[in-house]
Amino acid sequence: MENNDNKSKGVIIEVIDDGPLKITGNFILKDLKRDLTDTPEEVYICRCGRSSNMPYCDDSHKK
Amino acid sequence: MESDKNKFSGGRKYSNKEITVYWKPDACVHASYCYRELIEVFDPGRRPWVDLNGAVTDRIIEVVNMCPTEALTWKWNDESKNGNVSIDQTNHINFRRPELVGQKEPEIADNPVTVKIMTDGPVVIKGDFRFKYSNNDKEMKDGIISLCRCGQSGHQPFCDGTHRKIGFEDI
Ligand code: FES
Ligand code: FES
Repeated sequence: MENNDNKSKGVIIEVIDDGPLKITGNFILKDLKRDLTDTPEEVYICRCGRSSNMPYCDDSHKK
Repeated sequence: MESDKNKFSGGRKYSNKEITVYWKPDACVHASYCYRELIEVFDPGRRPWVDLNGAVTDRIIEVVNMCPTEALTWKWNDESKNGNVSIDQTNHINFRRPELVGQKEPEIADNPVTVKIMTDGPVVIKGDFRFKYSNNDKEMKDGIISLCRCGQSGHQPFCDGTHRKIGFEDI
């Protein structure tokens, strides 16, 4: 087994009920449609399909 | 839980006595031939989703050859047989994944978590991470999950393919 002492340590993927997907930690975000690659350490991905700022949550899920 | 020995660069591999099948999730366009033709072997609802004990080798090869991309490819375990494979074996690695030919799969040194926003589809997360949903809290080792972004999956929080039916576009 390889050791776990690498960058991927500490990534938490959290599904917020009736809300977005919260992702924190060290990860690589790739958006294929918008051709974007980034390493944000915290991000909220829309799960409701209605955000006007895809792929991110813009609170439209509350409406 | 799948063991690390199934890993190779870009995906996973599965073997029976005769062949090894490589799965490269990035390349999948969801043409769905694999599970429509051979659910005993390719069952997206099972973990691991590929079980090469589910059918005879000839049939597995036939279905892997139907995959329109290099998402599924195969090779003989007996390397001497991989030299002269006929061209109608469309998904043999010789034709689809030349980078794997003759390769002892290298270990993936660094394995960062990737979060991929699929075009008009789910978000696919790969690697080692902690996954919290409803009342679950799981440590995923070399995990892959595909979560719904369209809001309409019947199997929340996971994508079940509904985004295609409803023509989801994440503008
Ligand atoms: S989940 Fe918040 S806008 Fe979609
Ligand atoms: S994104 Fe696939 S079902 Fe919603």
